[in-house]
Amino acid sequence: MAVNPEEVDVRTDVIRHEIAASDWEAGGAIRQASLWRDAWRRFTHNKAAVVSMVFFLVMLLYVIIVPFASPYDPNAVNFNIAYLSPSLHHPFGTDEFGRDLFVRTALGGRISIGIGFAATFAILIIGVLYGSISGFVGGWLDNGLMRFLDALYGLPYLPFAIITLAIFGTVNFWTMVVALTIASWFTTARVMRGQIITLKENDYVRAAHAIGARWHRVLFRHLLPNTLGIAIVFIFLELPNVVLGEAFLSFLGLGINPPNASWGSLAEDGNEQYLSHPLLIVIPSVAIAWLILTAFFVADGLRDALDPRSEAAA
Amino acid sequence: MLKFVVRRVLWTIPIILLVIFMTFWMMRAIKGSPFRRSDKAVPPAVLANLNRNFGLDKPWYVQYVRYVKDVSTLNLGPSLVLRDQGVNDIVREHFPVSAELGGLAMLFAAVIGIPLGILSALRVNTWIDYVGQFISNLGFAIPSFFTATLFIYFFGAQWRIFPTNGWDTPSSKVLPVIALGLFPLTYFARLVRGQMLETLQQDYVRTAKAKGLRWRRVVTVHVLRNSLIPAITAAGPILGGLITGSFIIENIFAIPGIGRYYVTSVEGRDYSTVMGITVLLAVLIIIANMFVDIAYGILDPRTRDARS
Repeated sequence: MAVNPEEVDVRTDVIRHEIAASDWEAGGAIRQASLWRDAWRRFTHNKAAVVSMVFFLVMLLYVIIVPFASPYDPNAVNFNIAYLSPSLHHPFGTDEFGRDLFVRTALGGRISIGIGFAATFAILIIGVLYGSISGFVGGWLDNGLMRFLDALYGLPYLPFAIITLAIFGTVNFWTMVVALTIASWFTTARVMRGQIITLKENDYVRAAHAIGARWHRVLFRHLLPNTLGIAIVFIFLELPNVVLGEAFLSFLGLGINPPNASWGSLAEDGNEQYLSHPLLIVIPSVAIAWLILTAFFVADGLRDALDPRSEAAA
Repeated sequence: MLKFVVRRVLWTIPIILLVIFMTFWMMRAIKGSPFRRSDKAVPPAVLANLNRNFGLDKPWYVQYVRYVKDVSTLNLGPSLVLRDQGVNDIVREHFPVSAELGGLAMLFAAVIGIPLGILSALRVNTWIDYVGQFISNLGFAIPSFFTATLFIYFFGAQWRIFPTNGWDTPSSKVLPVIALGLFPLTYFARLVRGQMLETLQQDYVRTAKAKGLRWRRVVTVHVLRNSLIPAITAAGPILGGLITGSFIIENIFAIPGIGRYYVTSVEGRDYSTVMGITVLLAVLIIIANMFVDIAYGILDPRTRDARS
């Protein structure tokens, strides 16, 4: 496959680009069981990927467990303990209202990562549906659907997310998910369609058609299961994008309403007082960078593990 | 060749119409009228008058056709909130600032990022490559509002080397340009490195080496040319990234650009301004993509059929 520049989008898409260029091996249905075992072995032999996975899980555990374990009410205001420096009692210190930042950052992570996962799954579902309809049916429908994607290609996602939020008139967890999904499902749909088209050319799919398998059997038995690998990679590619998008929106003051906070709104809060209390912006920013970096390396490792040919090329 | 260019240029027309339509439809879906925003209730008669004045009482398709007509004559309509000011005036006032910021950031990114990518690929798996990779991974993961704030904290507040807000003196432009350019820089570096590594494995490179060409010549004539051509396709996505980034950077550095104004307009429910700016940015990207496609088609004829 020639390098298709339209598959390059912003940020994590350099990888998508590499996936498109490497002509991802779409097959292996015969040795399905060992395909996954092979992939697992390759993944665990990739030190960067394993370490990143561990750090990624550490972050997940932190945001899940700390709010249960912490003795502090994340929204309780107590000006007597405002702006405490990090200590054993408050590992990240406290903010201008004396709220414990260790628990607030964890709660912010729940919102940021929660929105991230929810939007990522929505993007994947839309992408798989759109891509498989377009790729499987083919013909004029494929043409039309792809032209529509062409039109949307490269449009700045922030304005569209902002307008979507304005349409809802209120910002909460789910409207944020919808806004970010609407603004960023295109690339996934395009790649999924490419996958289906490539898979359709495989001999076992032709064979299935030849022995008279119905279309739904071909689609659900032979095509969709084989897109699972790339779908898993895309979870880790889209997640950082969505988390960052949410952070940008919140940073601009268009995010979830206080006293709830995401990492982005914590950073916005910190930005107003970075000269006197730099820690307030450092902590949420490092959390965001942590998540993005680890997800990115996991995606990289998964891609290499699930596509043996790209490993040979590297 | 001419046929390809003409087809590609004509193809942008339905795309632009579709994007205007989508923006138009989304703007209509927003609840609340800009005229209802003030504390005092607007009398119904006045409201009807205002709606008529701005054509908001006509059916949607009449409004759409009128808007497309206006846009095609480069008239983005009146602002619904600012009296006596059209969206054109707003764009004229704020857009050059954003364009300059984005242009300088792009230049910065290309001048540093492309050589960084080339160097990383030629010295793959040495410390130079590792440093380059480290920088591009960091630039990729750290949100731009954080780097911007770090810059302001150290270069502005602590060491007092550069001013931290505004857009008037050359020195006030240094920090925002670098902060905005960091992401496209890493994008360029990654893309060029990847392309170079791929090109270095091609048969024609091996042949060139085998026939005794000096390595420097192999790199400049064969490798660089074929690796940098794909890099121009990054222009579209990078433009999109710059626009997204400018929203943040202009806010932090208090730069009177279009991104900062956009956020204000959304909060003020100034539909025609939001719509005007959205359409402007979208058209900008569509046209940039068109130029990239055409340039790519000229440089690499194989892609012409697929992309027209």
